[in-house]
Amino acid sequence: MKKNRLNIRLHILLLVIAALGFIPAAMAQRLSVKARLDSTHLLMGNMTYLHFEVVQNSKDKVVFPLLSSDINDSGVVGICGDSVELRTSVLRDTIELGSGRIQVNYHVPVQSFDSGYYKLPEFVFVTEKDSASSQPLGLKVMPVPNLTANDSIAPYADVAEPEGKSWLDNVPDVIYYYWWILVVIILLALIIRWLVKKYAVKEKVEDKKIVKERDPYLVALESLENLKQRKLWERGLEKEYFTELTDILREYLFKRFDISAKEMTTGQILQILNSNPETKDKRDMIRRVLDMADFVKFAKLRPLPADNVMAYDNALDFVRLTKPQPVDVKDEKARDDKPDNEKKGGKK
Amino acid sequence: MNETVNIREINDLIASKSSFISLIRSGMQRRIVGQKHLVDSLLIALLCNGHILLEGVPGLAKTLAIKTLSKLVDAKYNRIQFTPDLLPADVIGTLIYSVKKEQFEIKKGPIFANFVLADEINRAPAKVQSALLEAMQERQVTIGDETFPLDHPFLVMATQNPIEQEGTYQLPEAQTDRFLLKVVIGYPSKEEEKSIIRQNIFAEKMPVDAVVSLQEINEVQKIVEKIYIDEKIENYIVDVVFATREPSKYGLNDLADIIGYGASPRASISLTLAARAYAFLQGRGYVIPEDVRAVCYDVMRHRIGLTYEAEANNISTDDVITEILDKVVVP
Repeated sequence: MKKNRLNIRLHILLLVIAALGFIPAAMAQRLSVKARLDSTHLLMGNMTYLHFEVVQNSKDKVVFPLLSSDINDSGVVGICGDSVELRTSVLRDTIELGSGRIQVNYHVPVQSFDSGYYKLPEFVFVTEKDSASSQPLGLKVMPVPNLTANDSIAPYADVAEPEGKSWLDNVPDVIYYYWWILVVIILLALIIRWLVKKYAVKEKVEDKKIVKERDPYLVALESLENLKQRKLWERGLEKEYFTELTDILREYLFKRFDISAKEMTTGQILQILNSNPETKDKRDMIRRVLDMADFVKFAKLRPLPADNVMAYDNALDFVRLTKPQPVDVKDEKARDDKPDNEKKGGKK
Repeated sequence: MNETVNIREINDLIASKSSFISLIRSGMQRRIVGQKHLVDSLLIALLCNGHILLEGVPGLAKTLAIKTLSKLVDAKYNRIQFTPDLLPADVIGTLIYSVKKEQFEIKKGPIFANFVLADEINRAPAKVQSALLEAMQERQVTIGDETFPLDHPFLVMATQNPIEQEGTYQLPEAQTDRFLLKVVIGYPSKEEEKSIIRQNIFAEKMPVDAVVSLQEINEVQKIVEKIYIDEKIENYIVDVVFATREPSKYGLNDLADIIGYGASPRASISLTLAARAYAFLQGRGYVIPEDVRAVCYDVMRHRIGLTYEAEANNISTDDVITEILDKVVVP
């Protein structure tokens, strides 16, 4: 029996010890609030701060019912018989404490317009499961000292003249704020003007060149003379000689008769020359040159010196015989006056 | 004049071996009225060992032309009518089981001939077209496990009808490229039409005999390969082909939006071969720019792709080629 009673007591003791072990843990999870004032003395009308340090679980949602915006929308809550005012514009900051605990600091502006000594009440903070109250605080609001006749009062200042108007005040707001856009536009305009000027000048120069294009007859004669001077066939360069000779003739035909000879074969050139009354009777001269040139250029033919000279002479004769005749100014004018359909038939 | 020896030799060879050309031409004229261009194109293809794609409405003597040519050359001729139900085996041949011999035997198709007329090639499905075009390119056919080289010379003349496009299988561009020439033939003139009537109704058909053997054709093909082509002509050919690819560089800005894709390097090769053959037909041992221009349309027309814009403006590949030839500088 004694042994049984001892066992029961031992069990009860163990249960009590175990229960006591859970107390600190349970305490540690609770909500706690501390309050303090920046200053316990406040001049009437001045403002001080009431600070709350709320230690809570980080997951808990804590409500400060007194300053809840749902309760009061005016921004001011009166306490101590409305003699002390708390502003609802509360500043908050949070400190991480670890182990899922945080400390939220509330900074509540406090103001009073009635002098006296006030005992600020306990302020309650609430979570879903718990609540905590701050300790009461004392606040002394001191009256503003009355002025006496002996007190000196600063003299009234003169009414200030309006500040001088700056030229900037006359600038439209759009320009005042976006002046840089205007600068960019002006710069771009200057660059474009410079580019246009540069290329327009080039075009003009090219136009002048076209205007000053030389007489194809003289150009052909000069080129032929130049070819002769270079003595290509004498140096065994017959292929190059005939290539250049035909190029000169083709260029001449293009500029003198508007025949695109550079893009035509020998047969095509001869066909066109045959259809032109001015060249019909001189066609054989060209034919001899072009036929010989085709042999030399495409059939590895090495012509005799006499063939080279003959080809040159034929080309020269063709150019000389087709030299443009001076046009009578009256005839030219009469021709210009004719309708367009009468002028057709190619350049002659 | 001191002429370089090899050109003279080629000229002499051409003079001695080209007499059959006039005989073939006159033989063709006995059966076909007009269509000189078609006859020349057939000869060019024959000399280059190439193939022809022929486009023209029915009744323009396409079949007769190749049939006559095969008789004049004393060659084997086969005609394949392409239809939607044709199979590749119907063209190249197949393996047939012989009950008597108890084994598979090879039955060669109609492609085993010197001249093959692939009539209305666009009526058959793509796989049949591919079988023919592959054989044209490779010049050999594989049936079962065995590969057979095709006859030499081997010329395929494929025809397609420009009208009645419904239910046809247009040849892919990659495959038309394998034809050396694409010849478009038109209707005969009034005078030619009258001659056709007289020849076909009132006159007796003139017999056509062989004027040249296959052996001679093979020899002539080797002579054509020797025809001299100068670097200037090569440059000209390259310029013409490049103008189809980069028209703007040749001052042909208008063509930039018209040409979808330009001619392939195979076009340059074909242009060179065809120009040589044309020079041979003219009795020349060297190529001149006229030869290139003469064959340019037939060689290039199926190798240039046009854009929708060109089709909308009714611009043909022939118009494009004309513009190119008028712009590229002749050497």
